[in-house]
Parts: sequence; C-alpha cells; structure tokens
Amino acid sequence: MATAPLLVLPGDTIDPSLIPTHRKQPLRLGPGLRHIPPSEIVPTVAGQLVVDPKKNSMWVEYNGGRYIPSTHDLVIGQVHRSAADLYYVNLSPYTANAALPHLAFEGATKKTRPQLLPGALIYARVTLANRHMDPELECVSSTTGKAEGLGPLTGGMAFDVSLGLARRLLMARNREEGRVEVLELLGAEGLAFETAVGRNGRVWVGSESTKTIVLVGRALKETDEGDLTVEQQRKLVKRLVKQLR
Amino acid sequence: MPREAEPSLNEKQFILQALQENLRLDGRQLDQYRPLELTFGDEYGVAQVSLGKTKVFAKASAEVTVPYTDRPLDGVFTIMTELSPMASPAFEVNRPNETEVLLSRLLEKTVRRSGALDTESLCLVAGQKCWSVRVDVHVLSHDGNVIDASCLAVVAALRHFRKSDTSMEGGVLTVYTPAEREPVPLGWLHSPFCVTWSFFGDEGETAVLDATRAEEQIRVGSCTISLNRHGEICQIAKLGGTPVEAVALLQCTSLALTKVKEFSTVLDRKLAEDSKRRDKSGRAAELTAENDR
Amino acid sequence: MTVTAAPQAALSVLPRADGSAKYSHAGYTVTASVNGPIEAQRRDEHAYEAHVDVIVRPAAGVGGTRERHLESILQSSLTQIILVKNFPRSLIQIVLQIEATPENDYVNTKLVQASLNFSIMPALFQTAILALLSAAVPMRATATASVVAVVPETKSKKLVVDPSPRELEAAQSVHVLAFTSQGELLLAESEGDFTVEEWDEVYETAEDVCCKSETSKSDVDMMLDDDDDDAGPADMHQFIRSTLEDKVAADLHWK
Repeated sequence: MATAPLLVLPGDTIDPSLIPTHRKQPLRLGPGLRHIPPSEIVPTVAGQLVVDPKKNSMWVEYNGGRYIPSTHDLVIGQVHRSAADLYYVNLSPYTANAALPHLAFEGATKKTRPQLLPGALIYARVTLANRHMDPELECVSSTTGKAEGLGPLTGGMAFDVSLGLARRLLMARNREEGRVEVLELLGAEGLAFETAVGRNGRVWVGSESTKTIVLVGRALKETDEGDLTVEQQRKLVKRLVKQLR
Repeated sequence: MPREAEPSLNEKQFILQALQENLRLDGRQLDQYRPLELTFGDEYGVAQVSLGKTKVFAKASAEVTVPYTDRPLDGVFTIMTELSPMASPAFEVNRPNETEVLLSRLLEKTVRRSGALDTESLCLVAGQKCWSVRVDVHVLSHDGNVIDASCLAVVAALRHFRKSDTSMEGGVLTVYTPAEREPVPLGWLHSPFCVTWSFFGDEGETAVLDATRAEEQIRVGSCTISLNRHGEICQIAKLGGTPVEAVALLQCTSLALTKVKEFSTVLDRKLAEDSKRRDKSGRAAELTAENDR
Repeated sequence: MTVTAAPQAALSVLPRADGSAKYSHAGYTVTASVNGPIEAQRRDEHAYEAHVDVIVRPAAGVGGTRERHLESILQSSLTQIILVKNFPRSLIQIVLQIEATPENDYVNTKLVQASLNFSIMPALFQTAILALLSAAVPMRATATASVVAVVPETKSKKLVVDPSPRELEAAQSVHVLAFTSQGELLLAESEGDFTVEEWDEVYETAEDVCCKSETSKSDVDMMLDDDDDDAGPADMHQFIRSTLEDKVAADLHWK
C-alpha cells in the first residue's frame, strides 16, 4: 500500500501494471471492482484503488452508501417479527429483512431458545448473502458451537455511524490502520462501557451509567461527522470528559 | 411498500431513561433548539432553513389571476406542502400521509388564517384581477421538528419575496417586468412562528423542544403553539396523545414566546444582511416605487 | 442576473439520505438525493434487476407532463449506466429537487403550473450522477450531459451551449446529449426543426463540452459562443472527477 492514492471512478481503465500478479494464489477482487471476462477489471464506485501484492488482492476503498450484506460480516440487526422457526431481522431501514433461524443461538433448542420481542437488537454474523436471496444470519459459530460474543444485545443504546467508520472500528488493528482511537481513549479516561460494532453502520454501547453512553455516542458521532484525526479525537475526548465531571 | 423504520426497543428505553435524567443524545438542554441556519437564495422569495439535520426549502411565487367570486376584494394565498421521498423513502408522491396533512394544516392555520399576509393588498381590480401568492415547501431532509422549520422557512420566504410592480391608469392594468421596475415586497402584517413541544413519560411530565426524528417516534404527545413576537397566539394544536396539565401548558407557552422572539430577531437580522448584500450600489431606495404604508 | 460560469457542486449535503449532491451551473441549482438499493414496491419489483425511480420536483408549482417526460428520459439513460443486475427486486430512488432556474427579466412569469424545458437537463443529469457516486451505487461508467441550442442569426445559425431563457425562445431546435466517460453516446433528444448537418455539428459541440480531454483535440476552436470564458475545468468529466477527488480525500483522510 505504498503507492500514492489513486482515485478511480466507475468505468475507469486500470493500468495493467497495477494489477498484482502472483505465481500461486489467484487474484482476489474486493468491493467496488468487477471483472469482465476475459481479463478486464473495471471499478464500479468512486474511491481509492488499493492493491495488496502479498495477498494478491485489490479493492476500492470508499465510504458511504447503504450497507449491502456480505458473508462473514458482523452486523447489528433489529428484530422485526418472529415467524414459525425464524426471526425476520432488519439490517438497514427500508430494505428486505434478513432471516435468523430460532436455533442459530448458542445451545438453543426449541425450548431454551431466546424469546426476542419485535424491536430487540441482536449482534449476528451474516452466513448467506446473495443478490437473489434475502440474507441469512447466525448468532453462533457453526464450527465451535459457541456464541463468541454474538447474541441478543440488552440495554444500552445503538448509534448510527457511517459505513466507513464501522469498517475502521472493526479493523484488527484499528489504532494503526483505521486511525480511530476514540473508544480506547474514553476507556483510558476511566469510563466503563462495552461496545459492539456492526458492519452495517451501527454501534451498540452498553454501560451502567446513562451519562457514559450519551458521552460515548457523542464522541463517535463527532469523530464520524467531523472526520477527526487521532490528535483531534484526543482533544474531543478531553473536552467531553471535562464536561462530564 | 417501504415502511418507516421504527427505533429499536433498546433505543426507546434508553432515550426515555436519558430524558428522565435530563440528558439528550446530542448533549442539548431539554428546551434548547439545534443550531438554526437560515439562508436566502439569489432569487427573491427563496429561503432555506436547517435545524440540525432537518433541512427545509421554501419558495414563494406570484401570478395575476381572477379572485374567488365569494371574495372579490381579496387576493389568493396558498401554501403547498408536499413531502417527497427525498425526506424519507417512506413518503410517496401524490399519497399524503399523516405528517404531511398535519404540516399543511398547521402552516395554513399559523400563517394564512392569522392574517400574516395582507390579502386585501393583493387585489388589483375588484372581482376581476388579483395576485395569487403561493409558497411551496420542500422538506429536503427530515430529522424531526419539520413543523417549526417549515413555518420559519415560509415566513422567511414571504418576507424576502418581491412581486412585480403594477399600476392602474385609466382602467388599464400594467404589470411591470423586473427589468422595467424594481419589484415590490408583499403587504406583511406580522410574523408568526411555530414552537413544538414534545411530551415524554407516562403522564407527559417531561416537555422537550425541537425533538429529533428518534424522539418524535417515541413521544407520547406533542403540542404546537404558534405566536408572534408580541405574544399574540395564533393557534394551539394539541392533537391527541397523553393529556398534559394545564399549568404545564401555560409554562410551555411562555417559554415559546422567548423562542419566538429569538426567531424573530434572527429573521430580521438575516433579512437586513441580505438586503445589504443585494444593495451594493446603495441605490435601492431610489429604485423602489413602493409607498410606505 | 448573476450566472456563474463555472459549475459548482457539493456532495453528501443531505445527512439522512444514502447519497446526495447539490449542483449549480448556468443559473440552475438542483439538489438530489439517492436512496438504494431499498425494498421495491410490488408493482415496481423486477425479478432480475433493480428498478430505477426518478422523481423531478419543480421549485414552485406542481409537476406536469413535461416533468414526467424528463423523468422518463433520465430514468432510461440512468438505468443504462447503473449496474441494475446487481440488485434484483430492489429499488434505487433518485429525487431531484430543483431549487433555482434562470430568470428572464423581460417577461413576467405567468404560470404556477411549472413547465421545464430541455435546458435544465444537464443540471439534472449531472446532479443525479454526483448523488449516485456519493451513494456508492455501482455503475458501469459515469456520464455527463450538455444542451445545445441552434439559434438563427441574420444570415447564418449559431450553436449555443447552455442557452439562456431568451436564447431558448429564439432557438429553432434544442438538443440534449449525454456521453459516458468512455465517450459513448448515451442519450440524444431533440426538439424543433433541424437538418442532419446541424445535428452533426451539435453532436461535436456537445461531445466537446462533455469529454473534450478524452477525444482528439482537432476541433478545439469550434463555434462555441464567444462570451463563454473557460474559467472552469476542461470538460464536464474533468469536473466530476475533481469533485469526487475532494470527497474521497475527505472520506479516506485516515489512510
């Protein structure tokens, strides 16, 4: 990722020298690119072209738009209603509901499954995302049978953030790569809270204290809307914490 | 059909609990408005108002028509509100929903029926010719409290508006084009504004100003008070919802007056700034053919 | 009349829509919002592709047949460039709100019934494209439109890009053309009487406005009207690119 940022628009031609070549691994195309057989690769959104020669992959980095489900994404959904053996869960407003089977929870049987009311929030993983079918979710890892942090979210508050910020928060090294430190900084100030980040642009914040949740929510919103740098995030956290005390 | 997104149970509970502790999600006081922005367009009669993430655009226009037969001495004045899917995909074109009907009714009562615009001054030839003034309200972005924002936009657009100058000579009516004569402002009597209170809690004991969309979705009732800076109340609408103590309503009304005074000051200041901007050569006073009333 | 020569645009102006843009050029100001892909209504649902819904709303007055006509033109050309097959059974909704149109100081506006004409098409088209880009809706290519009027003069005829209301009144024919970023013709609509030779000239002029830098530089000094100062970017494609550059840089400031 050392090359200068390259802006691409839909339909631009990509210089063939930029396309990574690897002897063994197949080329992997990420979001924002489409392959027109035999060998043309064309961007479909406006953003910055990113090439990773190590993993032999390339994608377009962009922010904005509506969440489009994709498998293995962690999302925060809102239960719309319960059917015979599954819940209909809404991932973003005005879109078709995703399906979450009643038994896709840790240790769930017909009798012990969690009873979720319409409007309840759940933290889930997308298992099926396909343009021709409605997405499917699970709250349990199918390999280990453990919840691994997924499941119903009780109490707390869900905040809407941009898809870009959600992606940055979910990065394994969000401090170094995503340049978002606001949650760590708030924690370092002695605030006790827990979070769950959904790739669909929702962040759930839970805490004993209402004030803390409001404060974390405001910090997230301001970081998102103001495009704050790490330094600015530090200042913001200092300012907010001072108001609290 | 796309449904309106409901807030989740967690959000509902949390917003209510925070309000009980006098906290709002954006850090505002309960009786505090979001930052108000008011801008005028290059044309006369175009105003855009934004209250936080709520944005409303209003445009006033006028044309010469025939007056209604039962009111030969009055001009025609209409306010058109149509919510487009731009505000929210749940709104449909040509299918008014409750929000839209309430909005147009409230604006009608506040601005038109309170006699803010002198409709008699719109009459040109009794029973034959009059001005028809029309304001189109477009909600660009809906994040709650569209009513207050729209009312402010309508009043701002009308006060900013200039209609073509006319003259009557020997029974011949002449309407001058803007190139011939500087257009003239409308006959304006007073500026009413809406202030909407939202009520929360089992007995509506928490009253909140300028509710956001999420707050509007979980409130138990609302009350829109329309008044001008002199404290003259044009209408009060408390449409359904949980009953509210009369004493609380009186308090709401007196607080509303201070808010209306603020709106009034902002509007006067913005109008003065705008006319200064237009009047670069300082000759506007000579160009107008308007007589002081 | 204060008409800015260079186009101006702002992206993501409406915080609650998936994507939005505000664009002003030649006296027109248009705001657009894009929402999608969202759930389509049963009557609009298509089993294999997304339905593109375009709504044009005049600043004053109610829309009529002219607006519906412009909507259908926009809808068919935007469906061509949006990758509609990616989102079967869904809806991509584009709302175009007109905020300002150039005024003619020499006539009194008579109608409350709004009636738009072709000269607003480039503004509508460019705003829609910018809003779609802001909403990150996958597209085959970007596209730009321009309008050219054939105005008769004493002996000859002259071509006017972005005609004013007065020039439009005098025009014999008005043409709207849109080109994709690859320089392909996407849309050609004409009104009035014209000859094939005139249309060819119009085509070259419009291509010049839309994608000058991509085509050959042979016909640079065409019969563009004289008072058109080239203060802005070289062509419309260039303009869209530079607008997006700023947006992407702001979005990815953390990179």
